[in-house]
Amino acid sequence: MDRGLESDNLSYTDHHKAMINLIFFTILGLALFGSFIFIALQGSPKSLPDSSAVQAVTEIINLEGSSFANARRLLDDTDYQALCSNPDLRRLAQRLRNDRRQLALTWISSLQNDLIRLWRFRRFLIQRGVASSMSEELRTLQALSLVLLSFIRLSIRAAGPFALPRATRQAGQLVDSMSTGAALVLGRIPAAGWAEIERSWVKSAA
Amino acid sequence: MFLSEVIGLAGPALEVATILLLLRKRLWRVYTFLFVYALWLLIGNSTILATFLYFSKVYPDFPNAYPALYWNIYWNIDSIDVVLRFVVVWEVFRQTFPKRSGLNKSLSKGLGVIAFSLLAFACGTFLIYQNYTGPRSIHLALDRSFGVVQAFMILGTLVTARYYGVRCGRNVRGIALAFGGWVSISTATNAMADLASPFLPYWYYLRPLSFVVMIAVWIWALWVYEPNPPIMESEPVELGQWTEDWNRTISATRTIIRP
Repeated sequence: MDRGLESDNLSYTDHHKAMINLIFFTILGLALFGSFIFIALQGSPKSLPDSSAVQAVTEIINLEGSSFANARRLLDDTDYQALCSNPDLRRLAQRLRNDRRQLALTWISSLQNDLIRLWRFRRFLIQRGVASSMSEELRTLQALSLVLLSFIRLSIRAAGPFALPRATRQAGQLVDSMSTGAALVLGRIPAAGWAEIERSWVKSAA
Repeated sequence: MFLSEVIGLAGPALEVATILLLLRKRLWRVYTFLFVYALWLLIGNSTILATFLYFSKVYPDFPNAYPALYWNIYWNIDSIDVVLRFVVVWEVFRQTFPKRSGLNKSLSKGLGVIAFSLLAFACGTFLIYQNYTGPRSIHLALDRSFGVVQAFMILGTLVTARYYGVRCGRNVRGIALAFGGWVSISTATNAMADLASPFLPYWYYLRPLSFVVMIAVWIWALWVYEPNPPIMESEPVELGQWTEDWNRTISATRTIIRP
């Protein structure tokens, strides 16, 4: 662009209509530019694994904790409250609470095992040369999830199964996200090779 | 002055690099429209550069006193460029929603109407500037009227793709974001230059600098061949089953709401 192109006719900015129009374009242009920057910073949308890969991971690893579907019922304290309201049934309520606590602890323990198994499986796939980026690896570092599950376990032991129902219910999601990550990596191998992967995995786990 | 010369030379140099990259990796077959636009950019900008160098030698006062022929060439090339930019928009759209995909069949009519409305809006806003007599103002008005529409088209394509879960590869994503960023910043700076003359010195640098950045991002995006992953589509049998289930759900819901 050259300075010689400067026009000598700039008095039109006096026009009210033109001014509004120019302000409109300035704002619109800046807003659009901001939108493009926002999209660029967001990065490309996360890729979702093929449903068959998710199914294959569940079959290969046999996830016990995440297959438990009645977590809401287990952590619901309605029955316990109903029993507590009757003084004659207080002892029964206490027994129910203890049983539920044991079940919740067993479930959380299964989730921890699932998480560790998934982490090992993912590591096993990458050892075998399946492509994965460093950022993906850092995202799936499970130390924090394991700490969170340990905290939930501790809270159930100390305050009972009904103390943190929402956090406890969401514990299953930690395993789900790890399972999705493992399925994403498995999906990079052609489906024909999954049987071989399963055989090698069973052999290495034995 | 030094900066403007660097920018003036960097533009054609980067355009040559883009064309070579497209030729060397045979990407021009995939991104044909982009290749055509890159060729046009090289021809147009080289002509401007050659004219500039010629007048610098012939007229001692250049660029302080410039012949009408120079700015005629400059602005006419810029006006042709405004129209040709639509091929980049089309390239991004056709790569994101390929012709044979179901999404293209479903959306093309609706998006076509929106594109036509946007073009009508661009023509309308440009015609408002009829009262402008200076040659620069008319060209700037043309540039921003169509630039904002092109930015909307690119943004619309990216947002629609995201909404439907269509993933964009590095190539298309880089081309679209850099182009969208450039036309939108060009629109804003053009309007600011017309709005307040103290902004003009910045505009002289901002616009070409953002253009050079766009070409550099294009080179980065095309360095590795990473096209859009194919859109996964269900089999007609599966879709039929899904439609049947969906219709059953709708009629069941209606029965519950209005027994």
